[in-house]
Amino acid sequence: MVDSAAAAAWSGGFGWTALALYAIASALYVLNLYKPSVWTGGAATACAVVGAVTNFGALYARALAVGTVPYRDLLGSMKLFGFFLAVLSVVLELRHRDRALGPVLMPAALFFMLLALLEAPGAGRPAPNPDLKGAIFALHVTLNMLAYAAFAVSCALSILYLAAGRALKSHRLSGPATRLPTLSYLERANRTSLGLGSIALGTGLALGFFWASRVWTPDHPHWALDPKIFFALGTLFFYLFVLVRARRGAPGVSTARLSIAGFALVLLSYTAVNMFVSKLHVFRA
Amino acid sequence: MNLVFVGWNHRGAPLDLRERLAFTPEKAREALRGLFEERILAEGAIVSTCNRAEIYGVSDREDDLDALSGFFSRFHRVDDVLLRQTALTGHGDATVRHLFRVAAGLDSMVLGEAQILGQIREAHRVATAAGSLRAVTNRLFMNALECGKRVRAETGLGTRPTSVAGLALTLAGRIFESLKGRRALLVGAGETAELTARLLLDEGVSEIVVTNRSLDRAQALAAASGGRAVPWDQRAAAAAEADLILSATNATEPVLTAAALKTALSRAKRRGPLLVLDLAVPRDVEVEVGELADVYRYDIEALTGMADANAKARLEEVPRAEAIVEECVGRFADWWGSLLQVDVVRGLREKIEGIRLAEIEKYAGKLSGLSEKDRATVERLTETLVGRILHEPTVGLKEGGASERLEKAASVRSLFRLDDPPR
Repeated sequence: MVDSAAAAAWSGGFGWTALALYAIASALYVLNLYKPSVWTGGAATACAVVGAVTNFGALYARALAVGTVPYRDLLGSMKLFGFFLAVLSVVLELRHRDRALGPVLMPAALFFMLLALLEAPGAGRPAPNPDLKGAIFALHVTLNMLAYAAFAVSCALSILYLAAGRALKSHRLSGPATRLPTLSYLERANRTSLGLGSIALGTGLALGFFWASRVWTPDHPHWALDPKIFFALGTLFFYLFVLVRARRGAPGVSTARLSIAGFALVLLSYTAVNMFVSKLHVFRA
Repeated sequence: MNLVFVGWNHRGAPLDLRERLAFTPEKAREALRGLFEERILAEGAIVSTCNRAEIYGVSDREDDLDALSGFFSRFHRVDDVLLRQTALTGHGDATVRHLFRVAAGLDSMVLGEAQILGQIREAHRVATAAGSLRAVTNRLFMNALECGKRVRAETGLGTRPTSVAGLALTLAGRIFESLKGRRALLVGAGETAELTARLLLDEGVSEIVVTNRSLDRAQALAAASGGRAVPWDQRAAAAAEADLILSATNATEPVLTAAALKTALSRAKRRGPLLVLDLAVPRDVEVEVGELADVYRYDIEALTGMADANAKARLEEVPRAEAIVEECVGRFADWWGSLLQVDVVRGLREKIEGIRLAEIEKYAGKLSGLSEKDRATVERLTETLVGRILHEPTVGLKEGGASERLEKAASVRSLFRLDDPPR
């Protein structure tokens, strides 16, 4: 049997280490954008990879500590969100051999990791609610988090797209904007992120419905009317609209703007709706 | 023995003279053969581009520069006085510095241009094939190529394009990952469109569409570039389907308006950014086209402004580039100096003597059983052995012409690792 207090301590240790690594990686990515160098870029990637591994260690230790998914509260779930951001950043970097996303995604991972480490006292204690255990619930939450991370990446890509486009329109041929990836890459990568996020969110919501129909129905027969569910469905339909529009040849600028707006919806759903509006999707065990 | 260069380039020689002094690879081989036969050079290579004709080599003659100038006067049938008046010449470090600056693009008409490295590589290839490159000039040219690459890697001298074609490709490179598979529309069928079509095909553009007031001319250019022609009144629709537009007509009014392109884009099936290059004066493409979403428009004024800014930025990189060149010149001078010190024989003897003494030391235990007389015999035997082995190489190093001697010295230095610190 794992000692939950010890596991919680390990989770904290791993978490702060990941935070430090994300901070170093962020600084190196930004430095590399201004003064590109093989060493700076390589060190940034190495810190990001080790940071993500350490972040996973923090999540795993936390899961052992609480006896369920390690992200059952808002701040804890941000640890997973930061993890996905770091992983997606590294995956896109290695896939396209381009470090331009690092200066945007790593600071975001750092921000969410910092919030996660400021968790409420007692958040790391074992979960008293047995309903929050099980593979379907874990998968529901994980997929939704993956979707939100993919939408965050889409938002980052869109910001870069608008910055690169603005630099081109203003006829600037020097400065950091010139080191951004090409517009066609940013547009293509954004469509991929939108697609990945939409599939993950759709599947995550379907699993959530299945889980809720079994667990919530006895006590909350009208669970389907929870505002969080409306909000999540609205987010999904919004992104599907953006994705279909982009695939049909909508201008990249408008897709980028809508992707940024979509992520604002995600943040709203993730924070305010969970904390103040939803009766069932509250961050408590 | 001198390291020498004589050259005529855009700084001192007028274009018509440079044209007469140009070398094809065959002419370069012939000239190098002549220089060898007349014993003007012991080794050498010729760099010939549209802006320069320069020869670099090693000479034993006191009157090397006069002899070189006289040779080229006869070879190209050009007045010797004119050649002497317009020539750039140098000895020793000045030769090295000049070639390294040329390789770095510091001596080019367009500062930092990259083609010169390929031209120096070609000069090296031709001279190697002609058998005129030996130890010194081979090292000189290899070091020049390395120096040129270093300057380009470590400074911004060659990174910013200063020509319209270079800028167009740079802009395309910031919008598209590659031009492969892209569709280009050429508005106009004149010389600019023709040159652009060739450039775009070289870059891998998959389809070239040509539109022109005269459909015949559009069809002719389309046929020459493997593309297709579209009627003039369908140019807006063709523009909306393209990834890249280049417009260069003589029209006095805009031929592509924002309203027409906006309408066409809304009906088109294409997606992604559109790069519009308007090279016409007066402008072919309305300024408002640049305000459309995903459309990036550049006219000749913008492109010229960017080219000027880049040229200015390149100038700022010159001190850093010159510093790298000086470092490279210093390294070559060290190597050249070590060859000229004629210490190879001494170095070789010291090295072998060191090995002999080390081996005697190593076997000292086994030799301890020998009498004093026998040990002295072994000592003499090894000394004689070393002396005999070194006799032929010592004589050989002093034989032959200057270039041959240098080549042998360089080989001995390298084979016996004479420059390595003692272990």
